[in-house]
Formats: sequence, structure tokens, C-alpha cells
Amino acid sequence: MAGLAAAFGSGAMTNSINEFDDADLFFIIGSNTTAQHPLIGSRIINAVERGSKLILFDPREIPLAQFATLHLRQNFGTDVALLNGIMNIIIQEDLHDRLYVEGRTEGFEELKKLVGRYTPKVVEQITGIRSSELYRAAVMYAQADKAMIIYAMGITQHVTGTDNVKTLANLAMLTGHVGRPSTGVNPLRGQNNVQGACDMGGLPGVFTGYQRVGDPAAVKKFEDAWSVSGLNTKGGLTITGMMEAAHKGTLKAMYIMGENPLVSDPDITHVEQALSNLDFLVVQDIFLSDTAALADVVLPAASFAEKEGTYSNTERRVQLARAAVPPPGQARSDWEIIAGLCSRLGLAADYRGPADIMKEINALTPSYGGITYSRLSAGHGLQWPCPNVDHPGTVFLHREQFTKGKGSFLPCEFKPAAETPDDEYDFTLTTGRIYFQYHTGTMTRRIDLLEREAPEPLVEINPEDAKKLGIRSNDLVELESRRGSIQLKAEVTPRVPKRVLFTTFHFREAPVNRLTNSAFDPVAEIPELKGCSVKIRRCS
Amino acid sequence: MKLIAKKDVAAVVGTWSKTYSVLSPCMHASGDCVFDSFDAETFTLEYRKPPMPPKSSFLPQNETMFSVENGTFTPVIHHEKTLLFGIRACDLMGILQARSFYSRDMDDVYHRSHAEDTLIVVHACSWPQNETCFCTTVHSGPYAHEGFDIQLFDMGTDFLAEAGSDAGRAMIATEPFRDFDVEDAAERLSRVKHMAHNSIPIVSEVAEAMDILKGTGTNEGVWEHLGRKCITCGGCVYVCPTCTCFNVVDRVTADASGERMRTWDTCLYAGFTREASGHNPRSSQASRLRRRHEHKLLHYSQTDNRGALCGCVGCGRCSDYCPVHIGTLEVVKAIAEHIY
Ligand code: SF4
Ligand code: SF4
Ligand code: SF4
Repeated sequence: MAGLAAAFGSGAMTNSINEFDDADLFFIIGSNTTAQHPLIGSRIINAVERGSKLILFDPREIPLAQFATLHLRQNFGTDVALLNGIMNIIIQEDLHDRLYVEGRTEGFEELKKLVGRYTPKVVEQITGIRSSELYRAAVMYAQADKAMIIYAMGITQHVTGTDNVKTLANLAMLTGHVGRPSTGVNPLRGQNNVQGACDMGGLPGVFTGYQRVGDPAAVKKFEDAWSVSGLNTKGGLTITGMMEAAHKGTLKAMYIMGENPLVSDPDITHVEQALSNLDFLVVQDIFLSDTAALADVVLPAASFAEKEGTYSNTERRVQLARAAVPPPGQARSDWEIIAGLCSRLGLAADYRGPADIMKEINALTPSYGGITYSRLSAGHGLQWPCPNVDHPGTVFLHREQFTKGKGSFLPCEFKPAAETPDDEYDFTLTTGRIYFQYHTGTMTRRIDLLEREAPEPLVEINPEDAKKLGIRSNDLVELESRRGSIQLKAEVTPRVPKRVLFTTFHFREAPVNRLTNSAFDPVAEIPELKGCSVKIRRCS
Repeated sequence: MKLIAKKDVAAVVGTWSKTYSVLSPCMHASGDCVFDSFDAETFTLEYRKPPMPPKSSFLPQNETMFSVENGTFTPVIHHEKTLLFGIRACDLMGILQARSFYSRDMDDVYHRSHAEDTLIVVHACSWPQNETCFCTTVHSGPYAHEGFDIQLFDMGTDFLAEAGSDAGRAMIATEPFRDFDVEDAAERLSRVKHMAHNSIPIVSEVAEAMDILKGTGTNEGVWEHLGRKCITCGGCVYVCPTCTCFNVVDRVTADASGERMRTWDTCLYAGFTREASGHNPRSSQASRLRRRHEHKLLHYSQTDNRGALCGCVGCGRCSDYCPVHIGTLEVVKAIAEHIY
């Protein structure tokens, strides 16, 4: 998000889901789309069947690989080098969109200079991708009329996550693939409302709609609206920063809503220590998660079906959902809990309901100005930016110019992953998700059918590696990193390349985040969940 | 035969809703039409094929079968007088086929009690609801021959009401239903039926595909091609009026207490056939898709067909909703035309 905001001025999917139907080419990197965004994945499959091209970058043989025109399996953590190499070929072959670059962007010369060093030979050494294939990918992407870049956590959960995103933005601008239908740079957001949480200021440095807390005009506007003074203008800590501070003892209390860091965050031994170091922990969730079990106070929250409100999805579409059933027991909607807390703390938060809150959002958030309850009730949602009630919403961003004016090329050098295999920890472990489970399983593992489909954690290992180590499918193996160890069953499969292991973080009985590294991206502070070094052995 | 003015229908359904839990078409402000509890505000007669068949009135998505409290078992059989207003003939055929399946080899008391509690008003189709309707091919529509309490035919400003049971006859005996006492009543009705029938094209590939499956069998390539793109959502099964499979699970609520439930299941999930050893006789998505479609087109039971051609009643929903276009219509075309 930070990467796209820096390059384009707006940190969200540039285009929309319907536009997948008309794309000529998909450039997918770091997204197991059919597993994690299956309905978007199905649009890609349909488009490919109608003749669209698909270039897939993934070390694993994910299901979409069967539909790929070109599937390139780069070495772990080498995306910046790979993309710089592609841009170098595009510039060398004069396939970039000169008019677009001159008219709509800035910083081309610096980009050209930097990527010039990423010759096909250099890139092949770093990424393991043959120059002929890199060349094919570069030409196909540059020559496509409507090409969409699609990515997800496989790009962001790296120490170079922000660099990865900036580099993708560079590539799209270089070829003029932003600002038209069925093009753009499209991060697929994971949860139904993660875009909405960001939009509503659920980030340490912004108010709603990405208005910076350091901007005096924004501060004044919110102070006036809330009849308060002295709002913090410095911004807060990220999750990574908070865990660090709690560990050090400088952060004393934490209020966690709808997150289960004791299973989902990297290096959970460290998280355990951090959380038990707190004087006071409040957890608000729909079930008693592992994290909630540790809390001093648990606030039971209503689930999606028990509350009213809006969700903002991956394509910036705000949609209204109404309660189907009342919440059980003492559970309440999140807004009621927060408003209740506010009043007890002396701030009158006397909203009559979500519609009232939406009015405040409309008044204080320019991009949500026209997204009113009455409009939402009468249709299937509105896509921001939607500044006023007559505005139809925005299908794709950056049409005539970028949100920030000219798009900025932000060239990045390749930097290796925080941990690379050595003699002792000789495998790269990469983590992800599977179709039938969701996140830490607090919800999906209670659903019998899903649990039947995917009841236990498995670690994927390549047949050649497995043979050397005497491991067969269903054998119990131990994975050990510098931070901890877990035991789980092996699945021997060519889906993973040699020296790479894959597993998921859904299963608390073998929490992979005992192993992962909390090294993080310096800008977004997203940890490198996608890879760490481990050793593997068969349990006797 | 009786007539009722269309403008009087909402009021009649409103009256019925005092005695029955009525499920009828509702038009929401967003433009979506679903079958839901009768509500005078949103009730509509201008609706197309609803996204879901009325299957959940007979086989709820989740249903408690018995509960256990401190070791004592109590059967839970739900009784609620229900009226389905305005379902289509294909969906009625789906109900009849499922009813036969659930009573043929055993008496599924849960399904039976729902069926005994439910009155059915069919709204016969005058034309296809959309381009995927193929009831005329599988003999399930556009109007019903049996199994309904009342069937309504569109005659312009009126509906012609036909009773199919004593309960139905009683319901249309009084105002605002009035006698349809013209001489050529029967002829007029058969004209309406005829026009409706002719408006829905026959999909010849259904019978062709059935013949191929019965004879030489189809090329494996068909299933492999389709299996590759199936995203295993289960949607085709959940929207199908004749899919009857469920999974049985126990929900423990406290020590020695809990409930046994059944929930919709689908043969497109690997766990549906996985054995305790881990071995799976249907180990690929291709083989699972093949199972589903062969169940409809080849391994159906003649008894359960209830006069239809096969185990598919031609509602077209799997073609409407499969995100990668693996509906019965696409499958029979692929088989009949030897595409893969
Ligand atoms: S399949 Fe036939 S009966 Fe069913 S909705 Fe379509 S036209 Fe009506
Ligand atoms: S198989 Fe498809 S078309 Fe046939 S009854 Fe089921 S959902 Fe309808
Ligand atoms: S609806 Fe389509 S994608 Fe979903 S399970 Fe059925 S065949 Fe597969």
C-alpha cells in the first residue's frame, strides 16, 4: 500500500473485478488466485479459455500454472531483480510507451540507469530464470494492449515488500498499463474489509481516507468534528512496532480487535513474551481465540451476520450488509463496544447506529463523500473515490492523470531476503494459505465440512529432497528454524521446487509462526512471513 | 377451473400467510429477487427464476436431527405449516424426485415431515425464464402435471388456477377466485400450455450425451479438461434442486450434551469419498465432476425420475452459477460434440 501510494498517490487496487473479463494479459506474481480469491481466479480461467494470456511468476506449481502461457519459477525473494530485468529488456528493445512516460510520469532517467545494470545474465544468476524466458515475458507484457498486474501477499510479505510494489508500479507505468480499463496494478486484498479498515484510518499515521495525522488542516478538521483539541500529530506504532515495544516493556496495555497474533504473527515465541509482558490486555473477538484466552478482558463481538454496517472490498467497493440474526449472549456490534468505551472514557459517542456513523464518514472523508446509506441500500455498492452524492463512483483510478499528478518511477535495487539458507538451515520455508481454511482457523476450523476437507497441517517437500532425506508422504517431520521447531506431516510433491518447503499458518497445533522471522519491511513494517531458513528431518 | 385477477393475488397470499409460513418472491430495493417470508411491501409477481431452488424447505442447509441432554436422546422433528408460493414446474419436479429418493429405500422422517407440512403453489412458465432453461428437454416443465396443490397459468390480467389436491381445491373455492365458466376453457388452457412449451427450445445434446454415456462412455479428456478448471466451490450442487446429499456431524455443547445435525454436502469435495485409510476412490477433481454428472445423466433411478427424463430437471442453475461454466448444458455439449 505504501509503495503504490508513493508511486501513484493512491494505495489500492487501480482497477475493478469486472475488468478481468476483458484483459488481454494477466501478469500474476505472488498470488495463488484460485485458492485465495477463487472468484477472481475463475474470471482469469474464463478469460484464458477465451484466449487471454497469462504470465505467472511463482516458485510453486499453483493451480493457475495449468493455465499459464508462461510459468516462471523464480528463486525465493528475488522479485525486484526479476522485474528490473524485465524493464531493462523492455527499454533495450524500445518497447516502452514513450508518450506515456513523457506525458504522465517523472523519474524515467533514474529508472533507466538503475535497471540497465540488471542484464539478463545478472538476473538469471539471481532469479534462476533463463534469459530467453525473461525475454518472452517482457515482450508479451509490453506488447499486450490491456495487461493487468495482479499480486497479493507473495509480494508484500517480504523485507523488500515496499520495493517489490514500487517496482511493479514502475513496470506498469513504463508500458503505459495504468489508467485504462483492464490494466493497472492490482493488489488483491485478503479479508472482506481489510481495504475498509485501511480506508477508515486503521493504520498508524492516517485518519480516514488516508488524511495524514501530520497534516494540520486534517487535524483541525477532526478536532472540530469531535470537539476535542490536541490530537496526536505523530502517528502511532505498527503491529510489529507494538510487539517490539511490549517486549521491551515500554508499551503497557493493548486492545486487539479481530486478530489472533499468537498464531498469525511471526516468531510467536517473541509474541508470547511481548503479550505476557503487558499490564493489561483486552481482546475483542467473536470466538475465544488463543490470543483472547490470554486477555484480562474479553469483549464478545457480533459476527458479520449479527450486525449492520459496510464492508469495503478489494476493488474499493463499499457494500452495505444488514443483520440477519441478533447477536448471541452479551455479544455486541464492534461500533457499540467502541462507542460504549468512548462514553465511559468521557467522550460522547452518541451514535444512534451505523447510519449515523456513515454520515460522519461522509462529512470527514472526501473519497467517501457520496457513499451514503440511502445510495448503498438501493444498489450493489459504490466504489471510492466517490466525492459527492451525484458521483457514480470510480471503476478505475488514474484515468487522465495520477492521483498525485505525475506518476513517479521509484527505482529499487535488489536486496536479498533477511534469511537465506546456509549449511545448517538449508531449506527455505515459505508460507501461505489453502482453499479450505482461513487465517488462524478461529472460524473455519469450527466448520465441520471445511475441517473434513483440510483437517491437518502438511508441509510440501520436493520428491528429490524427500528421497535424499528418506521422507515419504504422511511421515511426521520436524522443521526447525533459529527461533523454534514444529512437527507436522509431509506431503511429497513436485508442486514445490527443490530446497523449498511450503506450509500454511492455519493450524495452531503446528504453528508455523514458531519458525518465521520477524524481520520486516522498513517502510510498511510488514514482516517477512513468506520465507525463512529451516532444516527438516523425519521424526523417528 | 378458477380465475383470479393478478391484482388480487398479493392480498390472497397475505391471507394465507396468517395460517402458513409463506415463502414467496420478494423484490428488494437493490433489484435482487429472492424467495423469502411473505412481505406485502416486497411481494412481486414480476420475478425470474430465483437463484436458489426451494430445496431448503425440505432439506434445510443445517438441520438438527436429535439432541442429547445429559445422555438422554430427544428426536427433533421440526413442524411448521409452510406454503411455497410461485415456484416453477422444474423446481416442483426437483421436490418430487427428492421426495421419492428420501422415501424409496427408507423413510427419511425429517424430509417426510417437511413434505407433509408444505403446500405448493406452482406458477407455470409462459416462456423461458432465461437462456439456460431446458425443462422441455427433460420433461419437467414448463407446467406441472402432478404434485402441486394449486397451479397458476398466466392469462394476461388474470391467472387461471388449477387445483391439484383437496387442500388446493378448498383454497381456491372462495372469493376472490371466481369460476372460469367459458365453453372453451379447456382449449384456452391447452393453447397457453402449447405456446409455453414451444417457447422453450429442446437441447438435443442432453439425450445425445445420455446415449454416449450409456454406450461407449465419454472420452476421459472431457472430465480432465473440466476438472482442471473447477474451483471446487460446490455451488453447482448447492443450487441444484435434485442434489440430495448431506453430511452428518455432532455438535457437542457441554458434557454429555449436544446435537446431531445434517448439513448440505457435495460430491465435488475430496472428503466426500475419502476413506478412513486416506485412500480416495475419487481422487481427482475430474473423477468427482464425472461422478456428479453421471449421477444426473446415467446413474439416476427410474423410480425417482417421476416422469422426467433423468436426474436433472433442467432448471439450468448450475449453468447460471458455475463460475467457470461447468453446468449440465456445457457438460452435455462437451460430451455430445466430442470437444475434448
Ligand atoms: S426450466 Fe422450465 S419450468 Fe424451470 S424456470 Fe425454466 S422455463 Fe420455468
Ligand atoms: S443438474 Fe443443473 S440444470 Fe440439472 S437440476 Fe441440477 S442445477 Fe438444475
Ligand atoms: S460450480 Fe463449477 S467450479 Fe463450483 S464446484 Fe461446481 S463445477 Fe466446480
